[in-house]
Amino acid sequence: MTNALSQEAPASRDKLAEKMSVRNLDFFYGETRALKSVSVPLYANQATAFIGPSGCGKSTLLRVLNRMYDLYPRQRAEGEVLLDGENILNPKQDINALRARVGMVFQKPTPFPMSIYDNIAFGVRLYEKLGKADMDERVEKALRGAAIWDEVKDKLNASGLSLSGGQQQRLCIARTVAIQPEVILFDEPCSALDPISTAKVEELIDEMRRDYTIAIVTHNMQQAVRVSQYTAFMYLGEMVEFDDTDKIFTAPKERRTQDYITGRFG
Amino acid sequence: MAEAALSSVAKPAAQGDSRLKVLRRFELGDQAFHILTKTCAVAVLLLLGGVIFSLIHGSIPALEKFGFGFLTSQAWNPVTENFGAAPAIYGTLITSIIALAIAVPLGLGIAVFLTELCPYALRRPIGIAVELLAGIPSIIYGIWGMFVLAPFLQEHVQPAIIAIFANVPLLNQLFSGPPYGIGIATAGLILSIMILPLISSISRDVFETVPTVLKESAFGIGCTRWEVIRNIVAPYTGVGLVGGIMLALGRALGETMAVTFVIGNAHKIAPSILGPGTTISATIANEFTEADGAIYTSSLITLGLLLFIITFIVLSISRLLLMRIESQGAR
Repeated sequence: MTNALSQEAPASRDKLAEKMSVRNLDFFYGETRALKSVSVPLYANQATAFIGPSGCGKSTLLRVLNRMYDLYPRQRAEGEVLLDGENILNPKQDINALRARVGMVFQKPTPFPMSIYDNIAFGVRLYEKLGKADMDERVEKALRGAAIWDEVKDKLNASGLSLSGGQQQRLCIARTVAIQPEVILFDEPCSALDPISTAKVEELIDEMRRDYTIAIVTHNMQQAVRVSQYTAFMYLGEMVEFDDTDKIFTAPKERRTQDYITGRFG
Repeated sequence: MAEAALSSVAKPAAQGDSRLKVLRRFELGDQAFHILTKTCAVAVLLLLGGVIFSLIHGSIPALEKFGFGFLTSQAWNPVTENFGAAPAIYGTLITSIIALAIAVPLGLGIAVFLTELCPYALRRPIGIAVELLAGIPSIIYGIWGMFVLAPFLQEHVQPAIIAIFANVPLLNQLFSGPPYGIGIATAGLILSIMILPLISSISRDVFETVPTVLKESAFGIGCTRWEVIRNIVAPYTGVGLVGGIMLALGRALGETMAVTFVIGNAHKIAPSILGPGTTISATIANEFTEADGAIYTSSLITLGLLLFIITFIVLSISRLLLMRIESQGAR
């Protein structure tokens, strides 16, 4: 369960396409500046981990990438966030369409108050009209994709809330996968899970990289090593260092990165 | 306690003794306080029991004379001492239903707007305005209903309604007769204004029990606000909402002053809701001073007992449902 998962040597960076690019992003909660001119790429079909002490702006950055902050007044972003070359901070951007392309999995499992089947089908129905057979197929595919099919196939009509925490989290991943997004954002997806569920989810994230571009916020540095190809270290709203995960954890360029990964502060 | 006992062992004997004394004194205070608060709690139960007892005791003469026929009889004749509760029960239920039919959609609309859509700057002013509505004494609603609302309805609204439905079968029965202004419909309207703040503030509280992450994850798969409210907030809060509505119903059933002013006080069941009627509480308030015979008084007390039973059932159901949403929030 150590490095075996993810570390085929990362492809050379200039060959990779940038699925999303954050450029000179500033973010404000009212008057407080939470992100300071942050720039970072998310390479297509790679997993990028965001690490840093609490309050450094990792989750804030993630919430900009699908404009979740839009729900709240007095929060605003300045700068550019490109998705396939288009600036999603543009006020004309259709936010619901954006969130269908950029899915999100939260820290706590959040199954909807409905059956397991409907938890998946609900999101799909928002975008497509499918017949019963097609929908069944789509639900099964999503549940298989999240490695939870075998555990729930006999109780698809049971409430999503009846599952264990780890199962609920994988259900939420399946729900996100079902609407076929291009990018998936994970906000500390394993922090509420036990080690076995964590291992399953990590394995899953690593496999999902084939089909999706992945960004993951984590407090667990071992997890960053296990699932990501690239790592960004953030501190006090600044992007301190971005590099191959191997390099960040073996030979960081910045002193602050070094201090953080060796546990000297944070 | 256990800690204190342990540490006293380690200390010199003299010091330990004085410490024990202090502790004993505290214990006495604790016990006294315990008894005091327990008495207060028991007093409530005794009061409740006393009310029930005197209601039942007072209603025995009427029940002995009329039996269960009291519930279905439309008679109300103080001269021959022949009484029945049917018009009052009918009026109580129908005014409350009208009130709910108007106030529930409005109240839910206010609550959804305040929790999900309203700009933050407007949230407090609107919330406070709605709660101020709840603070207005019911007698003021009564006066306003009698001198402002009823004449307005009589001149401008009721004639139009009667004209519109004149040729519609069934509905022309419901909206027929001369436009009095006062009557069952007006009482229902006044009641709806009175319970509106209750419904909107309870449903706002209930809506706020929906965890933010749950809503965010629905937004996260691309739901619009409407889809989130319809598919996440509504099913999550369903039980609690019904509880809140029942609570408002309980309030509407028992409301006296405002209704007494505008309902018309007629002891009969008219097919038209524009016609005058009466409710249980309006009958009691109007007639208690004139009730001279034993049977007359007892009949009014029996009405009170009926109202007590109806509201007790409604409020118990409401509490039960609200408790369910609270335990759901805690999970």
